[in-house]
Amino acid sequence: MFQLTATPASALADEPVHIRVTGLPPLQLVTLTASLKDEKGNVFRSKAFYKTNEVGELDLMKAPAFGGDYVGVHPMGLFWSLKCQKAFRRLLKQDVMNSPFWVTLNLYDTVGLQDFSTEEPIASQVVQRWFSAPGVQRVQVREGRVRGALFLPPGEGPFPGVIDLFGGRGGLVEFRASLLAAHGLAVLALAYFAYEDLPELLQEIDLEYFEEAANLLLAHPKVQTPGIGVISVSKGAEIGLAMACFLKQVVATVCINGSTAICEFPLRYKDLVIAPIPTFMERLQFDISGAVRLLHYRGDPRDKVNQRSVLPVEKAQGSILFIVGENDECSKSREYAEQALHQLQNHGRNNGRMLVYPGAGHLIEPPYAPLCYASPNLKLSSPLLWGGEPTAHATAQEHSWGEILKFFRQHLIQARSKL
Amino acid sequence: MIQLTATPASALVDEPVHIRATGLSPFQVVILQASLADEKGNLFHSQAYYKANEAGEVDLQQAPSLGGDYIGVHPMGLFWSLKPEKFLMKLVKKDVVNSPFLVQIKLYDSNLQLTDIATTAPKVSLTLERWYVAPGVKRIQVREGPLRGTLFLPPGEGRFPGIIDLFGGIGGLIEYRASLLASHGFVSLALAYFNYEDLPAQPEKTELDYFEEAVNFLLRHPKVLGPGIGIVSISKGAEIGLSMAIHLKQVTATVLINGPNFILGIPQVYHGQISKPLALSPQSLSINALGLAEFQHSFEEARREASETSLLPIEKAQGHFLFIVGEDDKNLNSKVYAEQATQQLSRYGKNNWTLLSYPGAGHLLEPPYSPLCCASEISSLHLSIHWGGEVTPHAAAQEHSWKEIQKFLRKHLVPVVTSQL
Repeated sequence: MFQLTATPASALADEPVHIRVTGLPPLQLVTLTASLKDEKGNVFRSKAFYKTNEVGELDLMKAPAFGGDYVGVHPMGLFWSLKCQKAFRRLLKQDVMNSPFWVTLNLYDTVGLQDFSTEEPIASQVVQRWFSAPGVQRVQVREGRVRGALFLPPGEGPFPGVIDLFGGRGGLVEFRASLLAAHGLAVLALAYFAYEDLPELLQEIDLEYFEEAANLLLAHPKVQTPGIGVISVSKGAEIGLAMACFLKQVVATVCINGSTAICEFPLRYKDLVIAPIPTFMERLQFDISGAVRLLHYRGDPRDKVNQRSVLPVEKAQGSILFIVGENDECSKSREYAEQALHQLQNHGRNNGRMLVYPGAGHLIEPPYAPLCYASPNLKLSSPLLWGGEPTAHATAQEHSWGEILKFFRQHLIQARSKL
Repeated sequence: MIQLTATPASALVDEPVHIRATGLSPFQVVILQASLADEKGNLFHSQAYYKANEAGEVDLQQAPSLGGDYIGVHPMGLFWSLKPEKFLMKLVKKDVVNSPFLVQIKLYDSNLQLTDIATTAPKVSLTLERWYVAPGVKRIQVREGPLRGTLFLPPGEGRFPGIIDLFGGIGGLIEYRASLLASHGFVSLALAYFNYEDLPAQPEKTELDYFEEAVNFLLRHPKVLGPGIGIVSISKGAEIGLSMAIHLKQVTATVLINGPNFILGIPQVYHGQISKPLALSPQSLSINALGLAEFQHSFEEARREASETSLLPIEKAQGHFLFIVGEDDKNLNSKVYAEQATQQLSRYGKNNWTLLSYPGAGHLLEPPYSPLCCASEISSLHLSIHWGGEVTPHAAAQEHSWKEIQKFLRKHLVPVVTSQL
């Protein structure tokens, strides 16, 4: 009698699942599929073709996929290769507290070109993928100008505080903050435009807003003082780096594929106004899919005329971790990070570090998140191309997440032990 | 006053057009757009950003595109970078004789937001005709015995080299390459072999006798030069083209575009003898980041387990071969198959071949300036097949290979008349 097992059946979305099949004929070709429906009703699917061993067993931790959405030994491949039927949809959990993603794993005892979703599997398992852990608390934040959601780990605390910033998508994205809270950090998912009464469009970076958020976080009884961390991606990482430069409260900053110069719109902090590097619409490129490649669209921060837009990283008092995807089609992330590190070196600072991931794209997310090839954005009628080769991107997500957690533990706990 | 010129205004689809804009401000950045509607009304668009020189001129033969659907100096970029509004729709001309494709070229000020272009009138525009036949080419429907296809005759008196044009697994009857070759002086038979009229919808075997009859039909035609004919074939069609060259000594010049050196999927029968195919392993299908299905490794298992006898005995062919390979072919492992076939010829001491291998080119290599079709939906399989190819190198490969194909066919089909005094 054959069996399909997937353990743990319910876990955090960043925890691996061990998938095994037993009791099948030896050396049998089988198809494993995964499917999930997101909160908007979009269906995501993946499949891989495997062969059972001489005793009729299949262990995804050891067996290679021959084909399908990925090839080779990838125990979590069915998760990170999930693709939406409709083009350019990003898998993003909205309600992070009350429900998981339910992923249905199906086993078929044939391989073929057919659409397996219309066939009866011989075995099926459903696993729950949660974005928060039991005891994590979510607090809606509406204080002063600050808008967002605070995620507190279970327990008395105090916990290291982190501000979580996403990019040009706008709105409030909570799933990374809630996952970090499940790992013991008090995280404020901070919105800055296109959310509630915040401006609809991003037209300038008002750093005092982010300072208000930092102070609000530090004032919370369950948040450690005197310093907080920032985790930021894309446009958010430009802001995160600016926070690191100008706000002494920020002692540990993770910048994922961000610019190290102010681009497109100015940054304001008290009396200081940093003019942006100009953008060149004529350098937009269209990929074969019709998605827009922004890679060459911004002026060069190494150009002499743009120096006043480059962020003064040497002023940052805390530590900075740059996470770079080498196949980023949106941002010249590696060049930016290298320029910033060079700048730190020139000022005798060594508080910056870069992790470069070959094959990874722009949207480096927590582990097992499916690669999003391109997705719609508010300003252009075409979707934006993010880049990334699926397998390499998945590896980058897994590795960088561990590094990010280590980085925060190292630099935020230390701050506490200085007291 | 802004002026836009494009010459020639009416031409064969494989002829280049010289596009120029004058009367702009010095160094003004403009958007050039091309659009066309196919015979069913499906729209295709392309755009590129150019900067005028100090005299306010943009000459596409000299100026580089700064962005858009292609970058760099590409005088015909607006044509080969055309993209369908409906994702994966392929640009195909059905009626090759009676009407051209009309291509609109439009110029806009780059101050315009991309989203406003659809609702704003261009500063200046013009329309070009792109034809698939030259004046005087005759189209004759063929229904001789079992043969189904279309014969295209070049204009003029006398005899011309004859070729048979074979497409691949899509089936039906595709005429546009044959009509273009006729426009360049070849009697061209676009030959259907399945999924057309009373031909089988989904054949279970390939009957080479059918193709032999086509060869004899062509050689009997009063306008065909002989004594040999040529074949231009792609994909599954190239499996058949190669097999014809092996069995039929009248086939003296064979162009094989991205084809296998073994029998794909279904067996071949010739004079009652059955040749077995290699089977596709569905488990070796690979799905890329966009969800497109890549089959180029799906014959590896069968090839590993097979003996040498399952490769087509190319050394038996008496004519010449031109292999055209797209190195980025995601449907068939074309480069590996072509190299193996030429190595086999070399082992038998034969040098009757040329291999042209194009980096960045995909499976569907077509006449010049055809937009890259990188994938097609197969609704019966709920799959989209990835053909491969990167837009710019694929266009370069199409331009180069088309000239080489015609040179090759003329060289081996037209006897050189030397005057001996």
